Amino acid sequence: MADTMATAGAGSSGTRSGGKQSTNPADNYHLARRRTLQVVVSSLLTEAGFESAEKASVETLTEMLQSYISEIGRSAKSYCEHTARTQPTLSDIVVTLVEMGFNVDTLPAYAKRSQRMVITAPPVTNQPVTPKALTAGQNRPHPPHIPSHFPEFPDPHTYIKTPTYREPVSDYQVLREKAASQRRDVERALTRFMAKTGETQSLFTDDVSTFPLIAARPFTIPYLTALLPSELEMQQMEETDSSEQDEQTDTENLPLHITDDSGAEKENTSALQQNASLSGSRNGEENVIDNPYLRPVKKPKIRRKKPHCGA
Amino acid sequence: MTPTGLEPARMNRKKGDKGFESPRPYKLTHQVVCINNINFQRKSVVGFVELTIFPTVANLNRIKLNSKQCRIYRVRINDLEAAFIYNDPTLEVCHNESKQRNLNYFSNAYAAAVSAVDPDAGNGELCIKVPSELWKHVDELKVLKIHINFSLDQPKGGLHFVVPSVEGSMAERGAHVFSCGYQNSTRFWFPCVDSYSELCTWKLEFTVDAAMVAVSNGDLVETVYTHDMRKKTFHYMLTIPTAASNISLAIGPFEILVDPYMHEVTHFCLPQLLPLLKHTTSYLHEVFEFYEEILTCRYPYSCFKTVFIDEAYVEVAAYASMSIFSTNLLHSAMIIDETPLTRRCLAQSLAQQFFGCFISRMSWSDEWVLKGISGYIYGLWMKKTFGVNEYRHWIKEELDKIVAYELKTGGVLLHPIFGGGKEKDNPASHLHFSIKHPHTLSWEYYTMFQCKAHLVMRLIENRISMEFMLQVFNKLLSLASTASSQKFQSHMWSQMLVSTSGFLKSISNVSGKDIQPLIKQWVDQSGVVKFYGSFAFNRKRNVLELEIKQDYTSPGTQKYVGPLKVTVQELDGSFNHTLQIEENSLKHDIPCHSKSRRNKKKKIPLMNGEEVDMDLSAMDADSPLLWIRIDPDMSVLRKVEFEQADFMWQYQLRYERDVVAQHESILALEKFPTPASRLALTDILEQEQCFYRVRMVACFCLAKIANSMVSTWTGPPAMKSLFTRMFCCKTCPNIVKTNNFMSFQSYFLQKTMPVAMALLRDVHNLCPKEVLTFILDLIKYNDNRKNKFSDNYYRAEMIDALANSVTPAVSVNNEVRTLDNLNPDVRLILEEITRFLNMEKLLPSYRHTITVSCLRAIRVLQKNGHVPSDPTLFKSYAEYGHFVDIRIAALEAVVDYTKVDRSYEELQWLLSMIQNDPVPYVRHKILNMLTKNPPFTKNMESPLCNEALVDQLWKLMNSGTSHDWRLRCGAVDLYFTLFGLSRPSCLPLPELGLVLNLKEKKAVLNPTIIPEAMAGSQEPAINPSIHAQLLGFQNPFSSSQDEEEIDMDTVHDSQAFISHHLNMLERPSTPGLSKFRPASSRSALIAQHSPGCDGTPATKSPWGIEFARKGAGKEQAPLEMSLHPAAAPLLAFPKESASAKHGEHHHHHHHEHKKKKKKHKHKHKHKHKHDSKDKDKEPFTFPSPASGRSARSPSLSD
Repeated sequence: MADTMATAGAGSSGTRSGGKQSTNPADNYHLARRRTLQVVVSSLLTEAGFESAEKASVETLTEMLQSYISEIGRSAKSYCEHTARTQPTLSDIVVTLVEMGFNVDTLPAYAKRSQRMVITAPPVTNQPVTPKALTAGQNRPHPPHIPSHFPEFPDPHTYIKTPTYREPVSDYQVLREKAASQRRDVERALTRFMAKTGETQSLFTDDVSTFPLIAARPFTIPYLTALLPSELEMQQMEETDSSEQDEQTDTENLPLHITDDSGAEKENTSALQQNASLSGSRNGEENVIDNPYLRPVKKPKIRRKKPHCGA
Repeated sequence: MTPTGLEPARMNRKKGDKGFESPRPYKLTHQVVCINNINFQRKSVVGFVELTIFPTVANLNRIKLNSKQCRIYRVRINDLEAAFIYNDPTLEVCHNESKQRNLNYFSNAYAAAVSAVDPDAGNGELCIKVPSELWKHVDELKVLKIHINFSLDQPKGGLHFVVPSVEGSMAERGAHVFSCGYQNSTRFWFPCVDSYSELCTWKLEFTVDAAMVAVSNGDLVETVYTHDMRKKTFHYMLTIPTAASNISLAIGPFEILVDPYMHEVTHFCLPQLLPLLKHTTSYLHEVFEFYEEILTCRYPYSCFKTVFIDEAYVEVAAYASMSIFSTNLLHSAMIIDETPLTRRCLAQSLAQQFFGCFISRMSWSDEWVLKGISGYIYGLWMKKTFGVNEYRHWIKEELDKIVAYELKTGGVLLHPIFGGGKEKDNPASHLHFSIKHPHTLSWEYYTMFQCKAHLVMRLIENRISMEFMLQVFNKLLSLASTASSQKFQSHMWSQMLVSTSGFLKSISNVSGKDIQPLIKQWVDQSGVVKFYGSFAFNRKRNVLELEIKQDYTSPGTQKYVGPLKVTVQELDGSFNHTLQIEENSLKHDIPCHSKSRRNKKKKIPLMNGEEVDMDLSAMDADSPLLWIRIDPDMSVLRKVEFEQADFMWQYQLRYERDVVAQHESILALEKFPTPASRLALTDILEQEQCFYRVRMVACFCLAKIANSMVSTWTGPPAMKSLFTRMFCCKTCPNIVKTNNFMSFQSYFLQKTMPVAMALLRDVHNLCPKEVLTFILDLIKYNDNRKNKFSDNYYRAEMIDALANSVTPAVSVNNEVRTLDNLNPDVRLILEEITRFLNMEKLLPSYRHTITVSCLRAIRVLQKNGHVPSDPTLFKSYAEYGHFVDIRIAALEAVVDYTKVDRSYEELQWLLSMIQNDPVPYVRHKILNMLTKNPPFTKNMESPLCNEALVDQLWKLMNSGTSHDWRLRCGAVDLYFTLFGLSRPSCLPLPELGLVLNLKEKKAVLNPTIIPEAMAGSQEPAINPSIHAQLLGFQNPFSSSQDEEEIDMDTVHDSQAFISHHLNMLERPSTPGLSKFRPASSRSALIAQHSPGCDGTPATKSPWGIEFARKGAGKEQAPLEMSLHPAAAPLLAFPKESASAKHGEHHHHHHHEHKKKKKKHKHKHKHKHKHDSKDKDKEPFTFPSPASGRSARSPSLSD
């Protein structure tokens, strides 16, 4: 059966490449496939001991075989997709066959049966005469895992991505112009949107829409927005910061062991942060910094003598 | 914990203290401040203080302490209940005074009130009577421990609570509280001796929420949880003797950062700001190193803390071992402009740690030494950090500032001496406030005072050399640190106080030089020198005839006699000449070294040894003089107006290497709009080596010159091609390069040039279209994506530039401004402003610089008639909750609107904000801006100037601002600007027979007042011991009765009550008493009475006219008489000590009053009855101490 399929495929492709008579490639393909299937059916019939068969019955058998194969393919595809894959694996096929009531175990024996017939590969027809004008680049050779009788790769232009540079815009002026107007448009659109959707103030009494100002809204903690860099800036800062720090450590720690020192410093600062957030809980490791604000908070004594009760 | 001194008092007396004589009859050695409870919700504080004092006189019976705002529950001395009274005349300066309204009168009364509680005069608001049981103890000069329980509810000054109204616990909300104030203001938050000269050691304890941190002075000894583990107590010890005024506190959910370089230094900031804190403080250790190195002295405290808080009172406040900064000083590494400013603030505060906190002052008149030294070493730090150019530029700036201020106001006196008490000796008669106390000073005056102080220090340095100067500082510091380590010898502590005489003595010891003339000129005397210089060159004699005139008759000037350096740059080199200034106008002949015949192609040597080629074609062929400079080293506090030819100024600009000279020549060139000046300025602008600030000034000068030359100007607008060449792309000159601010010099120039260009005007006096397009393009093509630094300041300046380009709208007979008739250029500008302002809402810039600039620009558009003038927008931005910079900018616009549109409504709005805004700085700033840009002035007719406004402002300065010295002085400044010294002219004629209390010598009377009124005027005493609270006659027509009823709730009744008790408290006069007690102390006591009893006019009028009495209670009649200074016998003090029951009872009442203020009147009566029922012995009854400020004395019940 597997062989049959393989040959069927080969046959189809062969017919396709050789299909000169047909105008429509899809029809062409169908015809070729069908012809190969007929050959398969015929040979199977021969194998089964038939000497001749009516055309109609051969057609019927061919139809059945075709639906059977199609069903295997469809089903295998479903199984494969079910497990979130795109390429069916052997197990998909096996499950399909089992599902369709086929005893898979018999397959190897069947394949090795003595009386089986081998269908010759479909005759390789001449290379299609492709008009020279259409060739664009070299057709890719088959990779080793594809049998050579498989059709060749189509022309590269049909599958290779060809970036189309219109005149690459390298003019600085235009670029800047564009960047500027783009940003301006975005800003304007954004602010207008904000103004439209929220409260606004206006400088004119007669017209409130031409220069809409987003209404001033007091903050609960005004200094935070005023002092903290926006996330955008923060990112930028981190980048520059790290590069700066590198430079610094490079120059400063030249005579020292660079790794040790910066490592220690990092530990300290992280310890600091922890301490700060946990309000003074001591980090397990030895703390280099002895600062009263980092010391742990003492537990109250049971009978703490109140200081300064007056003498 | 309590250093019981070895009777320091006695030793003190024996040794005969070195220069310092305490005004108090006791010595404070140790103080405990314990705050048990801080309630952020209610904004209240509960705690106690304990002062350890040693009497220095045997008959000490009253102890005066400072306390304001605090509600005092109980006072015990050595565990015995002590009677106390509370009297604060500064709460309401003038009483029963409804028609006076005369600033001169107010200032005198205010100065008197301040001095009545001045700790430096031994006074205080709180007077505690030593229980009779302890008199013997006192006579042996044994230690007294005064324990005072107090609370503070909704403090308006001294402690500032910041409680954002968001969800969450106080710590999550970022609520915090900190101490603040102007000069010695510690009395606002706990009872103390609020003087810079009373030093003691401290134990400070603060119990706060477990999520909070309390930062205070000295070493954090330990942090202990309370029993419920929900709070913790911070224990601080400050073993270095410190004045109460240098004690501070900050509590909040601070993030903690231990300085990575100095582990004893800890930084604190509000939540989320830690990254900024790290960056901002990363530089501090260098400042430490610098100061320690130049002073050759370790930082005196064992630790240092910086706290960054919101709603700061001032940007920088230095206290013992800690400094409190505004959180707005924090910045990230991307911010250029703020970095030097913040570093300067850090350096300033650190300088004050040495001089100001560690070393304190003996008296207010020695303040200049501290401010001078800290300002001077800060200047040295500037020189080292930012370079000599920056330093000289700064000195020049400061000099210009002080000169302008002194010429405007009539002088700043560094070392006022108040002797004699004669009015004529009043050193500051030109001012509308007294300079006798820091608390009566105008803020601006104080700022200028500090500025002058450090400039004078620099003059001293010029005289004795920096080396000696630093030796003097080192000497002061080492003396102080020796003294500070004398834990048990508190008499030694006075070594930690600096005085003018001590400082001068130190200078003469170290340097051996006599600087007395210098001190006399600049310290003991106010005023600056004004020189006018001109010259002629005498070719025959080859002599420069220099004429230097002085103006010493204008206010704020003084005559200078002494050496004056003149530098003459000749063809052959630069030569210094020292002239002796002796007469007013004097010609000085200075021989020239060079022959006027010039050698072609010879290089000209400059002062610094450099030799340069010059194009000499511009100069006078006969003269070898290139330029002349008078006092190039700024070694006189002066203003020089010097005349020399334009080409000389141009040479000076191009070739003189001193930035000050360059700056001066730029300013001079404004008067010479010629192509040559233009060229000189352009060359400077292009010269990379030139100091950037000079180049920035050159931009503005060039704009002015271009405007003067507008008809002959050729080529593109000034600076345009220059800017294009420097900052625009080579290929497309209309597009600015993407921002790269790595070179700060060009950054500043890039920022400034468009702002200056926008000032250009064409022949129609409009900003050239080309310039506007240019600026709009700059904004359009601004691209900061690749920049390491933020461009927020740059963009803000671009908006400023847009605003600068606006010219007045051509208005057709007052048509209403609408969008339709908007000028197309203005439309473009408005488009940008709208977009910027809206973008700020989405992507706010650092410190909202862009919003600030936008608001200013909108105001400019309004003012020029392009946009309808309307304050609504500004008012919304001025609301509490916006960032402070935005608020100030918006308020500035409202102030301007108020002036231009004469809007009564807005003025009222501003005034109510002055009274109610939660942020002290904003309130101060509004007053300040109103004073700078007043809606009207005294000689101006204005519909705004009416009686109601006078009353309002009067009330504001009289009683409305008693919680903040700075604010009150600001109100005084505003009143002065609006109405002048005399009675405001808008007031109706005063009633006949009214007596005004005026200074005799001054023509301060309103001309409408008939001369007879002067007859009864009294001379207010200058001597602090004599109270100058002079009361006018009661106006019989005044509605005082009603007012009184209202006021009962607040001040008057309590004061009547107090004044009564003051008499009660007085210890029976013993034979030895008058002998021992200095006469002044008694009169001081009496002096203190009068303001206290102002509820009823107590001072008997010397001219014997019966005054109308107010309805403070008939029962007080006898009291008034007894209070008269002439007949103030020491009344018997009831010796019986307080019964505990009564104490409780009163206590109870006290609380009730607090709770039910509305029902106060009822209570009042009730109490009244109660008292009289209880005590038949009581000679008179009196109203209850209703307000929180009133006092309670247990002894009173007996």
